Amino acid sequence: MNESRHFNKAMRIEHSLQSLDVEHFEAVIEGTMLAGTHWFNILLHRANIVGENADAMHAEFLSVGARRKIAVLLAEPLAALDEIEALRTTHVRGDMPDGAGAARRALACLAVLRGQALAGARAEPPG
Amino acid sequence: MKIDTHIDKFRRLDEALKHLRPDEDYELWIWTAMNACVNLLNAALHRSGLTDASDSFHTQVEGLYARPDRTRGTTSDAIHAPGDVMHAGQPVLATPLPDTIACASSALALIEGLREPFVRGDGIPTAVETADWERAYRTCIRELSLVLDLAISP
Repeated sequence: MNESRHFNKAMRIEHSLQSLDVEHFEAVIEGTMLAGTHWFNILLHRANIVGENADAMHAEFLSVGARRKIAVLLAEPLAALDEIEALRTTHVRGDMPDGAGAARRALACLAVLRGQALAGARAEPPG
Repeated sequence: MKIDTHIDKFRRLDEALKHLRPDEDYELWIWTAMNACVNLLNAALHRSGLTDASDSFHTQVEGLYARPDRTRGTTSDAIHAPGDVMHAGQPVLATPLPDTIACASSALALIEGLREPFVRGDGIPTAVETADWERAYRTCIRELSLVLDLAISP
């Protein structure tokens, strides 16, 4: 998927997230993963790490080699997406305490991913 | 997880779903409906004795669980007999499913099949399609409610 299509999907999902409250923490965390993965793919494509015909689905399923490159080039967004994925295990598929707090953390991580993707987009708009 | 925990999660996800429109918010609607159904499926599988209501969480990797240390607030990886399933048919269970759960699993599989075209891909659903999705959701919930003897009006 190309950059402008990822952009549109991420924006659509973030718009849907606005209908939910952090008390709906499972759905909120999942939404941050979905939107965040679209922002992450924009960054991966732009860095020429992953092609537009091979979107990353989950950060932990990237090859070891790709993750090592990403850890150097895109350390902050990778950490943000990893944290969202970790929250899915503990608070979506698990029942660790403070779901609303976990949702707020996931939203903060999503803001990091969005910020990084949009920072690059200002220099080179999607098209 | 425990049966009551799955039911609590189902109720919260089902409530979240009421804030989303399948025609406008279809990405998050699909994902939330899927998660709601998976939680009720796990509760039904545990209640039927087909999987264990173990205190562990399914990870993103099929068959790999995260076992919580609730005192420390940490988890550690574990592999054990099927506890929570991740999706319909993942993992495949050794025992055939009773008809009600098989019917619910088929409905869930329809919803899970929407991820690739409409969530990861950029397909745009028609009104007929979203009506089918809502019907599948109601079918899944209705069948699993029977197994769990729950009063749910989807």
